[in-house]
Amino acid sequence: MTTLLANIGRVFLDFLASTGRVTLFLYQALSQGIRPPYYAYQTLRQVWEIGYLSLPVVGLTALFTGMVLALQSYTGFSRFNAENVIANVVVLSMTRELGPVLAGLMVSGRIGAAMAAEIGTMRVTEQIDALTTLSTNPQKYLIAPRLFAGVTMLPLLVLVADSIGVFGGYLVSVYRLGFNPAVYLKQTFDFMEVQDVTSGLIKAAFFGFIIALMGCYHGFNSRGGAQGVGKATTYAVVSSSILILITNYLLTSLLFEQG
Amino acid sequence: MTPKFSLKNLHKSFGHKHVLQGVDLEVFPGESMVIIGGSGTGKSVLLKCLLGLISADSGSLKMDGQEIRKESMAQNEERLQDIGVLFQGSALFDSLTVWENVAFRLIYAQHMSRKDAKKIALQKLAAVGLSEGVANLSPAEISGGMQRRVALARAIATQPHVLFFDEPTAGLDPIFSSVINDLIKGCVKELGATALTITHDMKSARAVGDRIAMLYEGKIIWCGSAGEIDTCDNPYVQQFIHGYATGPIHLETDLQHVA
Repeated sequence: MTTLLANIGRVFLDFLASTGRVTLFLYQALSQGIRPPYYAYQTLRQVWEIGYLSLPVVGLTALFTGMVLALQSYTGFSRFNAENVIANVVVLSMTRELGPVLAGLMVSGRIGAAMAAEIGTMRVTEQIDALTTLSTNPQKYLIAPRLFAGVTMLPLLVLVADSIGVFGGYLVSVYRLGFNPAVYLKQTFDFMEVQDVTSGLIKAAFFGFIIALMGCYHGFNSRGGAQGVGKATTYAVVSSSILILITNYLLTSLLFEQG
Repeated sequence: MTPKFSLKNLHKSFGHKHVLQGVDLEVFPGESMVIIGGSGTGKSVLLKCLLGLISADSGSLKMDGQEIRKESMAQNEERLQDIGVLFQGSALFDSLTVWENVAFRLIYAQHMSRKDAKKIALQKLAAVGLSEGVANLSPAEISGGMQRRVALARAIATQPHVLFFDEPTAGLDPIFSSVINDLIKGCVKELGATALTITHDMKSARAVGDRIAMLYEGKIIWCGSAGEIDTCDNPYVQQFIHGYATGPIHLETDLQHVA
């Protein structure tokens, strides 16, 4: 019993210590990032990496999710003759939930891992020490541009994912299930509210922040050569994915209370 | 004369491992000091303490008579502007071209235009024997010896008055090692800089050093002019410079386990 309590206590203390380290890391990155000079080229490069280069994977995920959603909804709703709400289900599910969460998870796998691997390799090959000796603050040069790009690009990606997902649902509903195209589109736009989209975009900004923070934090603190970089990459993807799911519930709960 | 660097009773530990156990050393302006010692004796840790990349636990660490052990991040950044560093693995930035690496501090810390910075970078590349043809290549496209030359060009790009060399010839063949040694000697002389080199390559130590100090078990156990090292009566130094397998120097305990 004592051992069990000791283990629980150790895990809790480790959790608190990790939280403290991440908070300190974030504070240093933000306090350095808001002061000039600003690294425009680095920021644009991250915007390109996160925003543009993630489009195919996010687009494909959204397309097939929208298509599956239409099929599955039809299967369920046809049992009580409510097929006409499929357009509503697709648009609501994509904008409020599936768009931001799936885009977040896909970008976490693609970008979070790449950030941790790149920064981790820079750490173990002394490139981060070299930055410091070249009078350049590594947190300002490496971390701040990634945080900025994460927060700004994820909402844009989610906006694209929402559109493609709804389009996927439209394709299946019209060409596979025989819905009238005009009626399907009318139902989609009549039912959709601005808040459905904005709540998804708010979530996306948080998810982008989490992905960039976890990727940078684990990469920046990686140790011990290739194995250390591998571990950092795994930790970055796992921790950001879990945090995305937890944050998603908390934000949904918060936004739900506000209507 | 005020020493450029003055280290007194410097200690640094990592957990239970006491790496530096009271280092005393003085390096005078314009002097080229070489610190020799086996792998894992704390040479790199000592260098990182001098650069402010690691904080020493206790003791005194002065540069130009000013205590630097507890300096702020901003003070360290300012101090590093007059220091050039050649890292063991070159530590070139993979995402930048060769000339951008050389011009890094000029562009990002001194805010020079890219055009002017490139001119200087090409001059420095020429000074280390590299043609314009390599300027637009990425570091991954050139050999290890060329990378070391690029790193040297980066270290001297802003004409610093202090140069640190971390194992400058590690991993290079004898001919490339001689080239790097000659370049280091030439650069130090031309800049009139104070140089601190850490190495376990005795040929390199004799070639670039005015004075040589030996670090063993976290302390400087011998210090003298480069010409005296072969005739000194210190058994540790004699074992090290001749590479004898037996003698007073203890091998690492993990090696003894293997045996």
